[in-house]
Amino acid sequence: MSTTRIAIPTEKGGLDDLVYDRLGRAPTFTVVEVDLETGEIKSVEVVKNPGAEAGSGAGAKVAQAIADAKASVYVGPSPGPNAYAALQYLGVKVFTVVGVKVKDAIKDVIKELKS
Amino acid sequence: MKLVELVVASGKGGVGKSTISGSLAALLARKGFKLVAADSDAEEPNLHIVLGIDRWDRIEEYYEGRIAYILQDKCTKCNICAEVCPFGAVEVTDGNYRINEYVCEGCVTCSLACPAKAIRYRFGIVAGHIMFAERTKYGFPLVSGESVPGRPNSGKLVTEVKNRAKAILGSEGVLLLDAAAGIGCQVISSLTGAQFALLVIEPTKASLSDLKRIHKLTKHFMMAPMLVINKYDINPEMIDKIEEYAKEENIPIAGKIPFDESVPNSINMGKLVVEAFPDSPASRELKRIADFIAEEVLSNWRAWYSKYRPKKHEPYIPVIIRPQRG
Repeated sequence: MSTTRIAIPTEKGGLDDLVYDRLGRAPTFTVVEVDLETGEIKSVEVVKNPGAEAGSGAGAKVAQAIADAKASVYVGPSPGPNAYAALQYLGVKVFTVVGVKVKDAIKDVIKELKS
Repeated sequence: MKLVELVVASGKGGVGKSTISGSLAALLARKGFKLVAADSDAEEPNLHIVLGIDRWDRIEEYYEGRIAYILQDKCTKCNICAEVCPFGAVEVTDGNYRINEYVCEGCVTCSLACPAKAIRYRFGIVAGHIMFAERTKYGFPLVSGESVPGRPNSGKLVTEVKNRAKAILGSEGVLLLDAAAGIGCQVISSLTGAQFALLVIEPTKASLSDLKRIHKLTKHFMMAPMLVINKYDINPEMIDKIEEYAKEENIPIAGKIPFDESVPNSINMGKLVVEAFPDSPASRELKRIADFIAEEVLSNWRAWYSKYRPKKHEPYIPVIIRPQRG
């Protein structure tokens, strides 16, 4: 059964953390692997964001890190122009959401992806 | 009311962002809003000057970046680092290779190329400062940042300034940011996560052109914009063009400040115009703008935000040079 990996910017990371309000310099991002058919969460991984330490160019760094983590979907605040362009180029689908918990964002995006 | 972020931005410099930010912060604080002001223009911070702060309560050092150095005992003097360094930072004196730390940008080209693995990095370069005024004379705190000359134009420093300001504010209140001119790294960092953009324009062609660029960026970040026309009466022909643009783009006009000598006079006195000349035409209009923000925008900010934010995401995508796949 194929699964989909979803990347979400977070502070500490994990399903109960809030979606962070910025992408480029979020301290971490949480990669959640889900089975789109059943909605089941297969794995949760917290990755340190290399963009968090970047003086400039944070957007490109985080986009690369999201691709390196093999995520094909991004959920979070509107990425900045550079991050947006890089995610598009890398073929990562972008969904914007703010102010909710990671697990709720995942539920919403599963619905979106299935429809 | 939760945390609401309002960014004062303009694209063009010198149109009155800091003067307007300072007065609006003071007026909103006077109305009882829990407010923290942040100067997010780390290259030319001057909101503290407008607010009459001559001494900071606390200054933190801000570290960023790295500088390369060569381990002399490992260096084989092959000259490769000097050939590849894009900044010409490698210097040879008496046959020894050294890196000029004032020229090095920390780009890691030399250490990737070095066959002897003789290049290391020193981190923790002081690239700026974050300054705190716990209580301005208008009652609210101010957080500011300044970059060190020659260090990178840092969005991260602005992010740190914002994070410090948010930590002071807590989970609710108004964060008022005075953004840098332009649409660069620092400005993007100021806009990220904010709901409202107060765009300041003066009636000149350059200001309108730059405003369109910053407005495009606020659309990228799904922000609800509003417009303040500063010195609106100095060039009546431009007003129609500005109003036409605002109408087309559904940008509410928060106010039109007249040209008023009491503004520069108050700046020279080290006071806000609303404090020094409260009955001057500019102060009266600033008060109307503060009333508008308090009563129309902040009183039910979610409703205002959903009414005026872009209906769909309009990404501002830079041209990217695609690497050759081969």
